[in-house]
Amino acid sequence: MSAALLDYYQTLAANVPNEHAYQAVGKQRLGLVELPNRKQEAWRYTPLAPVLEHQFAAASREEGLLEPADIASLRVTPADHVCVVLLNGFFMPELSTLPAQAGLEVLDLAQAIQTSAVGIERLGSLSGECLHLFGAVNAALTSAGAYIRVTDKLAQPVEIMHINYSFDGEVLSNPRVLVQVEANASLTLLEQHAAFADVLGMHNGVTEIFLGEGAALNHPRLQNDSLRTRHLSSLYIQQAASSVYKGTTLALGSAWSRTEFHLDFSGGHAHCELNGFYLAGEQQMQAMHLDVLHSVPDCSSRESFKGILYGQGKAVFDGNILVKKDAQQTDARLSNDNLVLSREAEIDTKPRLEIYADDVQCSHGTTVGQIDPEMLFYLRARGIPKSAAMGMICQGFAAELIAHCDYPALETKALSILQERLMPVAAAL
Amino acid sequence: MEHLLSIKDLHASINGKEILKGFSLDMKAGEVHAIMGPNGSGKSTLSKVLAGREEYEVTSGTVIYKGENLLEMSPEERAHQGIFMAFQYPVELPGVNNTYFMQASLNAIRKARGEPELNSLNFMKLVRTKLKALEMDENLLKRSVNTGFSGGEMKRNEILQMTLLEPTLSILDETDSGLDIDALKMVSKGVNSLRSPERSMLVITHYQRLLDYIQPDYVHVLSGGRIIRSGDKSLALELEEKGYGWLQQEAAA
Ligand SMILES: Nc1ncnc2c1ncn2[C@@H]1O[C@H](COP(=O)(O)OP(=O)(O)OP(=O)(O)O)[C@@H](O)[C@H]1O
Ligand SMILES: [Mg+2]
Repeated sequence: MSAALLDYYQTLAANVPNEHAYQAVGKQRLGLVELPNRKQEAWRYTPLAPVLEHQFAAASREEGLLEPADIASLRVTPADHVCVVLLNGFFMPELSTLPAQAGLEVLDLAQAIQTSAVGIERLGSLSGECLHLFGAVNAALTSAGAYIRVTDKLAQPVEIMHINYSFDGEVLSNPRVLVQVEANASLTLLEQHAAFADVLGMHNGVTEIFLGEGAALNHPRLQNDSLRTRHLSSLYIQQAASSVYKGTTLALGSAWSRTEFHLDFSGGHAHCELNGFYLAGEQQMQAMHLDVLHSVPDCSSRESFKGILYGQGKAVFDGNILVKKDAQQTDARLSNDNLVLSREAEIDTKPRLEIYADDVQCSHGTTVGQIDPEMLFYLRARGIPKSAAMGMICQGFAAELIAHCDYPALETKALSILQERLMPVAAAL
Repeated sequence: MEHLLSIKDLHASINGKEILKGFSLDMKAGEVHAIMGPNGSGKSTLSKVLAGREEYEVTSGTVIYKGENLLEMSPEERAHQGIFMAFQYPVELPGVNNTYFMQASLNAIRKARGEPELNSLNFMKLVRTKLKALEMDENLLKRSVNTGFSGGEMKRNEILQMTLLEPTLSILDETDSGLDIDALKMVSKGVNSLRSPERSMLVITHYQRLLDYIQPDYVHVLSGGRIIRSGDKSLALELEEKGYGWLQQEAAA
């Protein structure tokens, strides 16, 4: 299987023309890379069969598959706001809402490459060597995706809707999103991975985010893919001096899901807040992989991740913060808290602080617990039936994290999905 | 007249340690009973056993409430039947909105009784009037239940719930502890507003002061897991003066 899969992706890549240098890098890498395996540190705790045992067909652009009304029902932003629809990774202008807005440029990535849009040379510079097979596959297989550049403080949020849905069966989507928030500009960028139908596909997205000096990005993401989908999101973030990145990823869907955060600071007094919530139930696997690099002084980062596990759910939290020798005055705090509702569920949590500077404030903490009997009794003593009380405790646990989205419509949506998933679970406990 | 609550020779233990050792008490509708007693004597244990905390094992004795076996009911059933316990240490519920929680509580009870549930608008109207009566800060409604509340705010929040739920039997476990003078008056006002011929209260306190505001019909002294003396409110004054030692010696003799 293994060698065959590499051959398979190489053959697919061979037929794709290179529109941009990053694709050539991807192809090169594809010729060298090993299959991900449990001996590699980055994949140690992540079961791989679900993504290595399938040969997904490469997605192609499919017109007429969805209608604008399908999108309207999924959106969390007002109908007249910018909403980019990526269907199986491809930018769909006829499904998107693209009003002109001062300070904002939104393009099909392929088009941005053709027209040499500002900063397009940055594409691939953060994802660089395409660390692993899927990074290489993303680069080698398509130039599908979106280009977003912000040069002003934008009051209106921008939404990106990822939909994996095809009549062709098990397809692999490889979108790449380039986000540039220039100096002193700011944006709220909401991303949704929406389950349109119960499909078994694979999403393999790469997002590269550049924040200029004093730039700010709020980046809530809701991953609610179908419960049969495989989902891999790799986010690469680079922050210039005094910039603020706030990302809140809510991973609720997918059979197998992994989100990678690779964050690096290039100037001082920048702050990043990475928040994540995962729901791993039934047969789900949810992994969060963090690589936060403090290589310059005076930056701060907060990494808060929480998860609820039930059934035979499995979750992996692999949080790495590296503070280099020169990164004095770094202030980094990482936490991971898990609420485990069943005996069969499994959590591997591995926070790691590696510190080479001597004048820093860093901490990490993890907890793995069950529903607190004191809380349960308090609610029941107030007349709330046991299963509803358990549901409320779980919702509360998640709500604290979800509130970091700072976008009520998305928070409400996430909480109601959560409630729907957890209600039968609480009733059966 | 039949008793609202009748506890006979109750023995209860936790982790194999017996805490209540033959506790008996009869309460009629409309009565207010105060329970006083040294630290660790079992007052909170009694409250929690009555509210249905499952970790406590009742090894013998009976508790009859409204003519039914209370010990067979789940905590939520007891709440539906009109029992309310104000916790000595209210529990923080991070992420659970206080208003949402109180609405869920009131509606769960109304539903169990076959009464129509209140919508958010009507609930808000109701809770605001109760809030005003307790002179509570409305911001507390927007926060997570008890999370980061000061001791006094937690106690007021308990009383707010009590005035919302209008219980038949209220058990107040040291609701006065940690309250400033104004808060104490406010809480007492809330409690007194609920006094009626149908409702009874079991007021646990260490301080005679509370009983100036909430005048009890009876005062009991709990020591070593059972009542060692009962009297009227003058007993509380006597305890204030002399402490518990003399009673404990008498009981041992
Ligand atoms: N989980 C437990 N395991 C063992 N002993 C316990 C447990 N919970 C309570 N106890 C013990 O039971 C006894 C009675 O406790 P309780 O809380 O009922 O006392 P109290 O009368 O309310 O005291 P206070 O006036 O301090 O509130 C104490 O000695 C306490 O340590
Ligand atoms: Mg006590």
